[in-house]
Amino acid sequence: MAENIKIKYLIIGGGVAGTTAAETLRQNDPDGSIAIVSDEPYPFYSRIMLSKPNFFLGKLPFENIFLKKENWYQEHNINFIGGISANNLDPQKKTVSLSDGQNIEYEKLLLAIGGCARRWQIKGSDKKGICYLRTLDEAKEIIDAIKTAQKAVCIGGGFVSFETCELLRMKNIDTTLLVMEPYFWANLLDEESGLMIEDAIQKGGVKIFKNETTEEVLGDKKVKGLKTKTGKEFDADMVVVGIGIMCPVNTFQKNELAVGRGILANEYLETNLPDVWTAGDSAEFKDIILNEQVMLGNWVNAQMQGRVAALNMLGKKQPFRMVSFYTTTAFGLNIAFVGNVRIEEGVTIIKRGSRESGSFGRILIKDGEIIGATLMNRTNEMAPISKLIENNFKITGHEKELADADFDLKKLV
Amino acid sequence: MVKQIKKVLVNRDLCIGAASCIAVMPEVFELDGENKAVLIQKGGVKNSGPATIDAFDVSSVNQETLRMAAESCPTKAIFLYDEDGGQIYPD
Repeated sequence: MAENIKIKYLIIGGGVAGTTAAETLRQNDPDGSIAIVSDEPYPFYSRIMLSKPNFFLGKLPFENIFLKKENWYQEHNINFIGGISANNLDPQKKTVSLSDGQNIEYEKLLLAIGGCARRWQIKGSDKKGICYLRTLDEAKEIIDAIKTAQKAVCIGGGFVSFETCELLRMKNIDTTLLVMEPYFWANLLDEESGLMIEDAIQKGGVKIFKNETTEEVLGDKKVKGLKTKTGKEFDADMVVVGIGIMCPVNTFQKNELAVGRGILANEYLETNLPDVWTAGDSAEFKDIILNEQVMLGNWVNAQMQGRVAALNMLGKKQPFRMVSFYTTTAFGLNIAFVGNVRIEEGVTIIKRGSRESGSFGRILIKDGEIIGATLMNRTNEMAPISKLIENNFKITGHEKELADADFDLKKLV
Repeated sequence: MVKQIKKVLVNRDLCIGAASCIAVMPEVFELDGENKAVLIQKGGVKNSGPATIDAFDVSSVNQETLRMAAESCPTKAIFLYDEDGGQIYPD
């Protein structure tokens, strides 16, 4: 039997959380062995850039997507094991087995496994021309497809559709958007905000059909069109499916790792297993500002969590504390989410502005404090709202100011 | 020899306000009203540069941290230059 490879700090996942963790570990421990296992063969690249026009339309050299070159790993004495996936975790023996048959014995383990694009489970969804947008290889497929596509359909009312529709229109591709819900981004926004996004998308030349669920992908080997449950048919050379992200927790969960939607962790990003941490999109962690278990999918959150998890792996006891935010821009509309934007029991909303006025914000209140906000063309309010959330600002007596679209929120900080 | 960073510029067309730089170096970077990164300089000056590192409103600038801040940008919007104006990053 082959002997286990011993690594002091083993990181599963080569994205922003895993790479930032490796960087932080090396800064603080010049000699400890570090390995990153990534199921993608590429060095650390910018997932954010994948859906940005500069990259997509070839305005920037393709190599610009890479944020670390291959020699960075050597220079920092980090063993990068790319194109290999982690298959199993044995928390008793403290080993992880890899898809190439290797076993790695760790002292400290970070699971920064991220998420993957939720797959379409309908008849014909395996045909050529059905695209997803999460990994570099997936983006390459879309870049290839848009070279010849004349008609495209985007599926889903979220950020992938929002940004992809614009890219397709920039290439003058006839684009249709199918949304299952009654309005765009219905899981996170109210109807007024959703309609505002639809206004922008439609103005950009995209046809939108709502309350439409696809029943079947038409065509032979390659997609030719879609048929929905209401009986409508749409022609398409390519389809981009943006129906959410899921964390592949199944890989590890059989070994006592506590999971929910993601990998469960406390405020130190420690999992229930000794010497095992998680960070980034895969972490369902205890948010000490909101005082609840949350899971976030955004770049700076993953970056910060990678750093904090690494510090904790080094033995410093540092809680993760950050008001998260997320922004996206397309069709001239800026959308921002701050803090927790899910409507749960006991949450009330204060509105600022309106769809008609071109800028509209919603501030979410729970137990007399701000817990989050959604902002359409009001991104300049992100910073003050973050501060108000972080400072546990009490809204009593300030309701009118919060509801006044012209009131400068910085005055409350 | 590692080249010393002398000047910094944020390309506002590339910046998307992901705030990675702020996470790394909050004493130098912040987001402005348009959600773009600006450099915090002496005398309350805040703009996207170009600005020399001596103008930053901090007592000393850690070269390695500044490079990390630029490298962390997911859209490569932060440009670093040496004394002779040569571009250090993106390289």
